[in-house]
Amino acid sequence: MEDSAGPSEPDPPAGPHLDSRAFCPPTSRPSETARPFRLQLSFVLMLMLAAFFLVGPALATGRADTLDKIRRTGVMSYGSDKEGGGPFAYPDPKSPRTVTGFEVELLNALARELGVRAEFAQGPWDRLLKVLDTGRVDMVANGYEWTESRARDYLATRPYYVYQLQLMAPRGGSIRSWADVQRPHPGNRRWRVGVLSSSAADNFARESAGATVEVLSFDGATDAMTAVRNGQIDATLQDLPAALFYRDRFPTLELVGPPEGRGYYVIFVRREDDALRRELDRAIDRLVASGELRQLYERYGLWNEAQAELSGWSGEKFVTTGPGPPRGLELLWHYRTLLLDAAVMTIVLSVTSMPLAMAIGLVVALGRLYGPRPVQVILSCYVEFLRGTPLMLQLFVLFYLLKLPPMVAGIGGLALNYSAYEAEIYRAGLQAIPAGQMEAALALGMSRRMALRRVIVPQAVRIVIPPVTNDFIALFKDTSVCSAITLVELTKQYSILGNSTGGWIEFAIATSVLYMAMSLPLSWFSRWSERQLDAATAKGGALG
Amino acid sequence: MIDVVGLVKRHGPLQVLRGVTLSVARGEVAAIIGPSGGGKSTFLRCLNGLEPFQGGAITIDGLRLDSDTPTATRERLLRRIRLDVGMVFQSFNLFPHRTVLQNVTEGPVHVRGLSQDEAEAKARQLLDRVGLADRLGAMPRQLSGGQQQRVAIARALAMEPQAILFDEPTSALDPRMTAEVLAVMSDLASDGLTMVVVTHAMRFARQVAHTVHVFGDGRVIESGSPSQIFEDPLQEATRMLLSEVQAA
Repeated sequence: MEDSAGPSEPDPPAGPHLDSRAFCPPTSRPSETARPFRLQLSFVLMLMLAAFFLVGPALATGRADTLDKIRRTGVMSYGSDKEGGGPFAYPDPKSPRTVTGFEVELLNALARELGVRAEFAQGPWDRLLKVLDTGRVDMVANGYEWTESRARDYLATRPYYVYQLQLMAPRGGSIRSWADVQRPHPGNRRWRVGVLSSSAADNFARESAGATVEVLSFDGATDAMTAVRNGQIDATLQDLPAALFYRDRFPTLELVGPPEGRGYYVIFVRREDDALRRELDRAIDRLVASGELRQLYERYGLWNEAQAELSGWSGEKFVTTGPGPPRGLELLWHYRTLLLDAAVMTIVLSVTSMPLAMAIGLVVALGRLYGPRPVQVILSCYVEFLRGTPLMLQLFVLFYLLKLPPMVAGIGGLALNYSAYEAEIYRAGLQAIPAGQMEAALALGMSRRMALRRVIVPQAVRIVIPPVTNDFIALFKDTSVCSAITLVELTKQYSILGNSTGGWIEFAIATSVLYMAMSLPLSWFSRWSERQLDAATAKGGALG
Repeated sequence: MIDVVGLVKRHGPLQVLRGVTLSVARGEVAAIIGPSGGGKSTFLRCLNGLEPFQGGAITIDGLRLDSDTPTATRERLLRRIRLDVGMVFQSFNLFPHRTVLQNVTEGPVHVRGLSQDEAEAKARQLLDRVGLADRLGAMPRQLSGGQQQRVAIARALAMEPQAILFDEPTSALDPRMTAEVLAVMSDLASDGLTMVVVTHAMRFARQVAHTVHVFGDGRVIESGSPSQIFEDPLQEATRMLLSEVQAA
């Protein structure tokens, strides 16, 4: 495999993504920031990455006033993610090419107040603020709650919705409220609670769960609900709107206990766009005062007594107190154990799945070359199927359909996917062994099986060491796809920490360094083995 | 020891062997000569099952192989036949990932089940006999062609076969190396080993072989003692072959 992009391109998992994601900056997706760590390139790339993060915001600051631009063009664009789903923003079932949702309608209403048109721009949810930095959108509005760390880097409008968190658990099960998961699990393990990655529920669960709860991050709200329905996790903590919206689709689940926590969805704009923020604030005020907002929320079944707080909003709740969180090395030191844990996860995934992939690949290659005809046909289908479908979908099948535990699904998925590539490498290696070797072995009285084991395979192994090492490095980076099935490996941890602390630059550099430190030994091994082979050939060439 | 009756071999529409009948007695050295494409090598490879055949029968040491022997039986018979009959190839086919010594002990240890010590002792003795006692630890690619072919002969001998098939053993070698290998083969012949040798080395055929078979166009054109074949051939084709060789 000459390029790791082939099988493993993390395609969007579900739902029609009809809007282009083209405006995403090239380094804004986890799989892409983490991918190019080949030894020779990684240092340069690391510098480029750092430069991007340092210069990017600086460029954004120098841009002309956004409110002027909006007025001039008559278009105000907002970043949102349809993958997050209902009721925020989702493909309209009646017309799947258009997007709908209470936020879509809200933004349309705000745009009307400003005398312009609102334009939806698709982006990955946990990177929307980075997209905002690039200047490709004017604001972010997608269930983003006000947090102190976000408020340090961006300007927030007044809230447009007061959200609460809602626990969802199997209907009639033992979990009746959030308090229930605070008690020890009867089965001598921790309660498994799924959350939307980097969401308010994620933060709330991690802060208030204590020792009795294991928090699992999912990339989509419904993914976590599916996992509860499958019995893979015990419950999920959701933003109330999502819980209300999807309850009908998951009839075996119910909303248990009163809503927990309380927070505020706000619209974020860039720091220099205070004028735009003021305009949006005034527009929200008017929608609240006219009752239009209430009507909108009632249409979606989202209105509750908590929304009373929206009228008469004074803003005194949004205060940033004390000094900001640490930066630089201090920040990294503070989160060192999380980063190292994630690095360990990456290593465990790689070093367990690769040997499996190599073993399965060898069996497949031998079967394709020497097995009976039907076996050959079946195995070539195996190879084509696994090579021809994305790794992420294979992981989804193992996790959501076969309901395997995440580690098993992750290791198994990587092993199966890469076994197809290994099989092809071995097949090439085996075919490179001259036919005379098999004949000589047979003439000595060996069985075919013994000839393969003693004569053919040992020679083929020497040929395939470099390409297999290459694949190992590719697999190593492809472990990041496992974040789609709740495994927190290095790239995912980078994303989580970047989001929760705002320390994108620090974590990008630290993550790069960790990946490099882990792939260096592999690269060394590859070169060393290539040198060994070269030396052996050269010696033979001189004398033979 | 070896009895072949009416052997037919087809490659698709091409008939490579058109009914070959030939016998080799125990202790006999049989040379097979003939023009390229005459089916000599194919015939030899049929004897130990490296090529399947479509007609006739081969009996080796009492083990009879027919063209219609079922696959499972065929495989079982072939394993036994291959234990009886060694083979030396034109391109040596040594195992490049093993040392000279390991090449020779591979079969005895892993096929015959000898202990490593026994096999090594015997291998040293055989490698000494073919003049390579000083290259035991060398890798095949470090040896000359002639040396490699002598290791290949030692490898075949280590299995203590009843007979050895030689498939143009010197065709890939220059004259000096050819002489080394032929000297070893003459030595084996004088020890009474049964040998079937496909060769272009006419002097060897003349001096060492007991019987010479002339192949042409997928048939045995003529068989006889070396003196009869080389001095008084009955067939015109044999005469032409020999004059071509002498001219070359």
